Amino acid sequence: MLALQLTITGLQTGALYALTAVGFSLIFGSTRIFHFAHGATFIIAAYLFYFVNVSGYGMILGAIAATAGAIIFGLLLNRFVYVPIQRDEGSFFTIFVASFGIGIVVQNVIGMVFGRGFVTVQTPLSFSVEIMEGLYVSPLAWISMLCAAISFSLLWYFLKYSQMGKALRALSDNPELVRVFGMNPRFISACAFTIGSILVVPAAIISGATSGLNPAMGHHVMLISLAATIVGGIGSVAGTLMAGLALGLAESLALLYVDSQWTEAVTFAILFLFIIVRPSGLLGRSAAH
Amino acid sequence: MEAYLLNLGILISIYSILGVTLNFIMGYAGIYSLAHAVFFGVGAYAGTFMAMHYNASIFVTLPVAMAAGAFLSLILALPALRVRGEYFVAASLGLQVLAVTIFSEWKSVTGGIGGLIGIPPLDVAGFEVFKPSQFIFVTVGALIIILFIINRLVHSSFGRSLRAIRDSESAAAAFGKNVPLIKTISVVISSALTAVAGVLYASYLSFINVESFKLDTSVLIMAMVIIGGTGTQSGPIVGAALLLLLPSLISYMDFLPQTEIGSIQQIIYGLGMALLMIYRPGGIVGRKKQSETGKE
Amino acid sequence: MVASSADTQDVLMEIRNVDKAFGGVKAVDNVSMDLRAGIITTLVGPNGAGKTTLFNLITGELSKDSGSIKWLGNPINKIKPFQASRAGILRTFQDLRLFNEMSVEDNILTSVENNSVPIPLTKSQRTARREKVEHALNRAGLFSKRKVRAKDLAYAERKFLSMARVMATDARLWLLDEPASGLDPNSYEKFLEILRDEVKQGVTVCIIEHNLDIVIGISDRIAFLDRGKLLADGEPQSILDDPELRAIYFGERT
Ligand SMILES: Nc1ncnc2c1ncn2[C@@H]1O[C@H](COP(=O)(O)OP(=O)(O)O)[C@@H](O)[C@H]1O
Ligand SMILES: [Mg+2]
Repeated sequence: MLALQLTITGLQTGALYALTAVGFSLIFGSTRIFHFAHGATFIIAAYLFYFVNVSGYGMILGAIAATAGAIIFGLLLNRFVYVPIQRDEGSFFTIFVASFGIGIVVQNVIGMVFGRGFVTVQTPLSFSVEIMEGLYVSPLAWISMLCAAISFSLLWYFLKYSQMGKALRALSDNPELVRVFGMNPRFISACAFTIGSILVVPAAIISGATSGLNPAMGHHVMLISLAATIVGGIGSVAGTLMAGLALGLAESLALLYVDSQWTEAVTFAILFLFIIVRPSGLLGRSAAH
Repeated sequence: MEAYLLNLGILISIYSILGVTLNFIMGYAGIYSLAHAVFFGVGAYAGTFMAMHYNASIFVTLPVAMAAGAFLSLILALPALRVRGEYFVAASLGLQVLAVTIFSEWKSVTGGIGGLIGIPPLDVAGFEVFKPSQFIFVTVGALIIILFIINRLVHSSFGRSLRAIRDSESAAAAFGKNVPLIKTISVVISSALTAVAGVLYASYLSFINVESFKLDTSVLIMAMVIIGGTGTQSGPIVGAALLLLLPSLISYMDFLPQTEIGSIQQIIYGLGMALLMIYRPGGIVGRKKQSETGKE
Repeated sequence: MVASSADTQDVLMEIRNVDKAFGGVKAVDNVSMDLRAGIITTLVGPNGAGKTTLFNLITGELSKDSGSIKWLGNPINKIKPFQASRAGILRTFQDLRLFNEMSVEDNILTSVENNSVPIPLTKSQRTARREKVEHALNRAGLFSKRKVRAKDLAYAERKFLSMARVMATDARLWLLDEPASGLDPNSYEKFLEILRDEVKQGVTVCIIEHNLDIVIGISDRIAFLDRGKLLADGEPQSILDDPELRAIYFGERT
């Protein structure tokens, strides 16, 4: 029963990991921008939702504010940080350090405004229900999985059928294609940031209601996204999705064998082994040189 | 005031050692490690373990710490030989997170999250160094020795091999460079020297815990190198001084709300990192140097 | 070792039935040929014929699917690039792969040194090294540019630097991947002169070249590759006169 309980918790966590990870993976795959501040997008969205909600404007307005905040943050960062660095032939690490710096700024600004402790969004859905003897599941678990399923279906539809989606996919497969495409690369990267940022919103909102929020959690979210992107295979959205789910499950099921302090280590041990044994990831192109 | 400056000087020289050793693999071998704080920590814990349980003489603590750093760095060398770019960054990140968990959980050696207190002062040939006015000579001396060693390496055939590998790995191999061996040696040397900083740091503060060896520290060191100028001699030192002076200048501005001073420091530090990357990505020392060699 | 009759030179390298496929494409298809000492063998063939791949298989940059290669009579089937270099087989790259951030002088210096462990050199070793580097710098006409970063050189200078890296070493066999492509007539005259000189001094060369004038001017032997297959291997005149080969060769070029 414990295993089943942990599987469901794992799938819930995994669904949220998959959402944030796919956002990062899409941005990284198509623009090669190592958007470490993706974790900051997550906490901005989460705290906006929390703020609108406790101010009494309700969940729908909260979700709208969170989405708008995430998109604006992503686009501003792209326009005023990444584009200037890239114009200067900025290396991968220049972008990484700048992005990391922005992450620190966001974390501390949020900490100053909302405090550094945990906050939770209270909803009637947060309480677990005993659905079988000894098996407690909160409705939010199903909502998480449902949200992930809906988001990924929409994303899949977009990537497969829209012009922009095809361009993003082609770029993930082969980043050299930017020029060949005849589309404005600035516009493409703005789109990647928009979609990537939207994808963290459901995860951010649900996390606020389940595990609670604190300003430092952006970091953890980002590390998981990176791990899922690499384990899934850079450039593969489907691979990242699977890897996100798998990492959530692994983290949860690891509790059968180790104490909870070790769960993060389990994730990163998996990442480390993947890079050494199969750097191309589950579904990615070859990466070893 | 004098105590304050001494303290700053000691910290700057310790972080300069970290910057210089990271720059050695980053700027010359192209190995961008985000796990540098791990070897800082390994040095600190290993040195402390020896000092508390066996002997506080630096002729015991330093060699043991360096050996521990060198040995464990083989784990970092493993991905460095297989992958590069974002893959290696991710691998080193993974190592960093794993190490923090181990540092927090291996309580018998590291004291867990609470850390270790009462670390004995440095014992230099029977002479106990704990006053900051004496300690600064030790840290600056160590920095000079390490600078000398790295300078010699960089300007030897070994250093040329490293730069050749950084520029084109396949061409370096085609001209007789045993690439995996050279990369491994450079990682081992860098980590062993990093461990020295750990030993100094632990005995200076006489207290350590895992907070000093987390990812933030690794990124701070990387930022020092990049901001100072990757692949330059003085860059890492300039970067270390700048990033450590920045927060202390802020604490002098008493119009700021005192309760938020930590956050404000962090915000300025983060903004500084981003702005420098936008406006001066070659680093403070780096840019000038490049245009000079270009003109020759 | 293969018996050498009175009028053929010693065989330095013996390539037998070498295969390499990428996915479904056979880049090198059952190639057998010899590289003979003291002469220039030219590899010709249309783009994508497998010429570069053959070099990569010789130096161990890529591993063969099957077949064998002998160097000075010994099998070198599992050799790694750095070992090939130390055994006296050196190459240039079609895309040059200079050490871009390093000075011209350091590029050459690096190529001469092949120790991996940081050990200091003796004085006489250092003098010998210095002389080799200066010789190569002068020969390639790069002496005045020796302090310039490789990436700041002009196109032709970059090509000569890629040659100089090889020239400074004691290698017995040079594998040159299109070293003259894109050179102006002046430069390639100079290039040919260098090549002839070095061969006179005992170096063996295998060169990939498209320009027919150069091919005629330097080849002692020509090997013709097309779609991975060795179509012919022999005296230059017999290859150049073969109408079928001419058709493939010129067909590709128009
Ligand atoms: N590393 C590789 N991976 C996949 N295919 C390759 C690789 N190297 C070469 N090829 C393919 O092998 C064939 C021969 O290439 P190459 O040896 O470079 O030809 P050449 O040098 O004669 O122009 C080409 O079809 C090329 O696309
Ligand atoms: Mg070729």
